[in-house]
Amino acid sequence: MIKLIYNEMLKLVRKKRILVIILIVAALIPLFTYAQYKVAQTVEEKLGTTDWRATLQQQIIDTQNRLSSSRISDEWRKQIEIRLAQQQYYLDHDINPAVPGAPSFTRSFLDQAITLFLPLMVMVIAADLVSSEFSGGTIKLLLTRPINRWKILLSKYITMIFAVSFMLLVVSVLSSVISGLVFGYGGWTMPVITGFTVEGGELVTSQVSLLPQWEYLLMELGLVWFVCLVIGTLSFMLSILLRSTAAGMGVMLATLIAGAILTNMASSWESAKYLFMLNLQLTDYLAGMAPPVEGMTLGFSLSVLSVWGLAGLLTSFLVFTKRDVY
Amino acid sequence: MKDKGISILLSISILFTLVLLGGLSWALKSYLFESQKVVELPKQLVEEQPGEKNTQKEGKFILALGDSLTRGTGDPTGKGYIGQLIDELQSKSKEKITLSNMGIKGQTSAQLLSQIKEKEIQRQMAEADYILLTIGGNDLFQQGQTLVDPSPTMIEPLQKAYLKNLREILQQLRTLNKDATIFMIGLYNPFSYLDDTLHTSQIVREWNYQSSEVCAEFPLIVYVPTFDLFQLKAEDYLYSDKFHPNGEGYRLIAERVASLINW
Repeated sequence: MIKLIYNEMLKLVRKKRILVIILIVAALIPLFTYAQYKVAQTVEEKLGTTDWRATLQQQIIDTQNRLSSSRISDEWRKQIEIRLAQQQYYLDHDINPAVPGAPSFTRSFLDQAITLFLPLMVMVIAADLVSSEFSGGTIKLLLTRPINRWKILLSKYITMIFAVSFMLLVVSVLSSVISGLVFGYGGWTMPVITGFTVEGGELVTSQVSLLPQWEYLLMELGLVWFVCLVIGTLSFMLSILLRSTAAGMGVMLATLIAGAILTNMASSWESAKYLFMLNLQLTDYLAGMAPPVEGMTLGFSLSVLSVWGLAGLLTSFLVFTKRDVY
Repeated sequence: MKDKGISILLSISILFTLVLLGGLSWALKSYLFESQKVVELPKQLVEEQPGEKNTQKEGKFILALGDSLTRGTGDPTGKGYIGQLIDELQSKSKEKITLSNMGIKGQTSAQLLSQIKEKEIQRQMAEADYILLTIGGNDLFQQGQTLVDPSPTMIEPLQKAYLKNLREILQQLRTLNKDATIFMIGLYNPFSYLDDTLHTSQIVREWNYQSSEVCAEFPLIVYVPTFDLFQLKAEDYLYSDKFHPNGEGYRLIAERVASLINW
């Protein structure tokens, strides 16, 4: 089994999948870092102060002004109100929500990347694990070996898991190292407020607790990893069902983008919460943002994702072991 | 060589998979199973940042409080009288001017009173060299509702509540900051082009008079009238909503205030 996994890893490396991901991340993170740096600079110029309290207070005032506009939709208003309550909570407890530094950057980068960027990277790994064997014709060579089919597939699946972990390692290390060049490497022990819950459109602070930022990051990475695994499993399944990398990636991409669009509209369509694409923002639960459909919780989203993931895995194995290959 | 690289890659991946698994289970543990536990904010973790309080002490610090006039609603450049005032002051003086605009559209005196109880606002109030204030317009006009029935029985309770709030606001400001000059911008009559202008003008004049009386109870508060600015050519100086000033209107107010500030 270990040899099989080793073999699959070798293929991934030879096909330069890992390298491609490292390069993409290494190219994009400096861009984000620069953008973030520019934003911080303009804010400072405008306010004429580096004091975060003044900046945060100004943000609160701006948010309040947006609330007083009569043209914003009810859902959006709720979101803003929750964010407002949160900002006020930070200010009242004298905690800076965004100490500039490598860990803060990585934290917000993961928040942003969890719905689209990281799933895309996962797809680069997972989408052609099986289908490339079909298109290259190597599947026959592989299956003529005296090994059970399910073992071959399992080795591919496990390789996928490891590759996803490695990818997250690369992403978090690169984003910390590169952004640290600009923002410095401090702030690992900075307190982060977590445990905000949203009930009936109101922010509840009764379960709030403080975590050092590195603990928060670790939890966040765990959740990101889970999301990536589910996306990986589904791409893996499509790769088997469609036997074509392009089609598999296309379907997956369309679903993800549809999910991103739906997230903004779903609050009136309640059963949309059972779609996996709407449950990808797991990190929002840590941060205490309002979920796309009211009443969604971390447990709920994890269950939905698990069900989808397990179903995908089961389908993959059933189809792969039963299918005629010729 | 290649083989060794793959082995290392594999072992790193496996190791990190375990780390991630740990992170996931930790997140699960603290969110799903400890949700009943209420955690108090531990005091020692709260960041202490002494010495930061004085960062704003170079140059002049101007704090603007109030409603949509402070925000600049109606000015196409978005500056409002505050922005134009700062521009003007900056052109006169080399000193660095720091502005903090805390105006919120539609704010009434009661809302302002609760706003200035916030810690950060109080900190800024204590540090300010000048405080600019526009308040009362929403108390009086209530988004135009007052115009439907501008009778004394209607206005009187509004005015009473407003004056009480204003007194408390100024009291707060003075307690926190004894040295800052406070400019209280008066109301103009946005409806002076209407037919029953005599009546609304009278209400606004009375309102302004009472406000200025309250201001006079405290030292270093300058009441800045704007009624006359908009008296003759209101339409030229009003935005298309016929309520807020336009760019020109804000310029008039800014010029008037600018002529009062000298350092």
